[in-house]
Amino acid sequence: MRYRVNHPQVIDEIVDGEAIIINLADGSYYSLDSVGSEVWTMVEQSRSVDQIVSVLSGRYDASEEIIRGAVEDLLARLAVEELVAPENGQPSPARACPPHLPTTERRPFQVPRFEKFTDMQDLILLDPVHEVGSRGWPHGTGRYEDN
Amino acid sequence: MRTTELQPVRAAYPGLSDVGPTYLSASRSGPADAQCVRIGGHLIQIRFATPGLLPCIMPAFAHLGVDSQAPPELVVHVWDSASTGASAPPMPDVGLDTTVGAFYFFEADSVRGVFQPGLQALTVVDFGADHAWYFVENPAALPYWERAAPIRQILHWWMATRGHQQVHGGAVGSPDGGVLLVGKPGSGKSTTALISLTTELRYAGDDYSMVSLLPRPLVHSLYSSGKVHPENLPRLPHITPALWNAGELATEKGVVFVDQHFPDRMIESFPLRAIVLPTITGKPETRVVETSRGASLAALAPSTVFQLHTAGADALRYMARLVREVPSYVLELGTNVTDVPGVLLQLLDDLRRAQE
Repeated sequence: MRYRVNHPQVIDEIVDGEAIIINLADGSYYSLDSVGSEVWTMVEQSRSVDQIVSVLSGRYDASEEIIRGAVEDLLARLAVEELVAPENGQPSPARACPPHLPTTERRPFQVPRFEKFTDMQDLILLDPVHEVGSRGWPHGTGRYEDN
Repeated sequence: MRTTELQPVRAAYPGLSDVGPTYLSASRSGPADAQCVRIGGHLIQIRFATPGLLPCIMPAFAHLGVDSQAPPELVVHVWDSASTGASAPPMPDVGLDTTVGAFYFFEADSVRGVFQPGLQALTVVDFGADHAWYFVENPAALPYWERAAPIRQILHWWMATRGHQQVHGGAVGSPDGGVLLVGKPGSGKSTTALISLTTELRYAGDDYSMVSLLPRPLVHSLYSSGKVHPENLPRLPHITPALWNAGELATEKGVVFVDQHFPDRMIESFPLRAIVLPTITGKPETRVVETSRGASLAALAPSTVFQLHTAGADALRYMARLVREVPSYVLELGTNVTDVPGVLLQLLDDLRRAQE
């Protein structure tokens, strides 16, 4: 099982370990803390859920079960927000996982913090953007036209 | 499938090739005018088919005006129907969404355009020729926010091709350095920028600014305007007598063209020392508190992306680079706003010492 980021309606940048994610379609934006940003980065890299759990298990001092629960919960929330979407049936590319850190070097694990902000949505409602598709001037509503 | 991939539509809009000739036709109806402004070092000529739109556009650029015979890098053609009697360029019959902010965007090859049915305004930029066109049906119907920040879309698009990024933010400082004021509408950007006019801090804008990264982060002024919610005017008594639309405050924000009333207070550009996030606390004390780059990007980027239409991943990447370059601070606005400039001046002095 793996997910993909819903580009191009979703754009993102990570600065100092914090991800800022913007959903251009509805005016929402989000922040993810450092653990969440690690998960996000690995989704961008097309890593599977199993691979993400394995990588984090090598970095953090927590059981794989706890980490898996946190990762799956985060991905489910991201999917509800339409920031990511499952790619069922798509095998993950083989990727080597970094070696697990010695137990003494692993950091304490914290459940990823995920914040949603909707204070920009009014701008979308006031200034709706319509793009023009192949039929000429737009026939649909919303930021992105279905093609 | 949902996609943002834009299809070539130049042929699908039969009027696009008529935009230029329509301007030329309108220019035969009266005395044409041309004004040059220099923004971020780039010479831009604004050609008016007739003087009809001059008072709607030039007050915001008055501080950037130059008398130059050099060839402009961008030529913007501006005209309207009401003052020229000329026909409008072909407009699409969109018929779907005529809210005042509705925005129809097209792109084909090196041409981008926007139709705003609420304003009956058409904007076209030809990046291959470095020419742009801006048409409105009736200048008298232009809302105050368009007069405060005219031809914003043209500048947003074209300046990006020259390595600049327009952002939703105000800016104050001095030739030695200044701050970018960022945050969502209502966070206190305008109040902070306009109260600074009472001090040695100089004004580069309250709502939209332009930034560049190379060779070092710089802020460039775009507009001399400032906008104030009427309920904040008692805190800014120096602004009230200077309002351009004092009789319209029941329905509009107050607009001031700073250059007209505080001509020595404008600044064209300055080195960026810090990004500042004003926030209203209700507490008496004004102070600055360092904040994370993530918080800074969250304050800067979403409002920029959603206010500057079609800004997307490239703009976000640019802004992320910017917040990595300079420190960021929350400016906790105290109840006595006259304290604010002093706090900013102290911050700038501290940063100048630390960065030298």
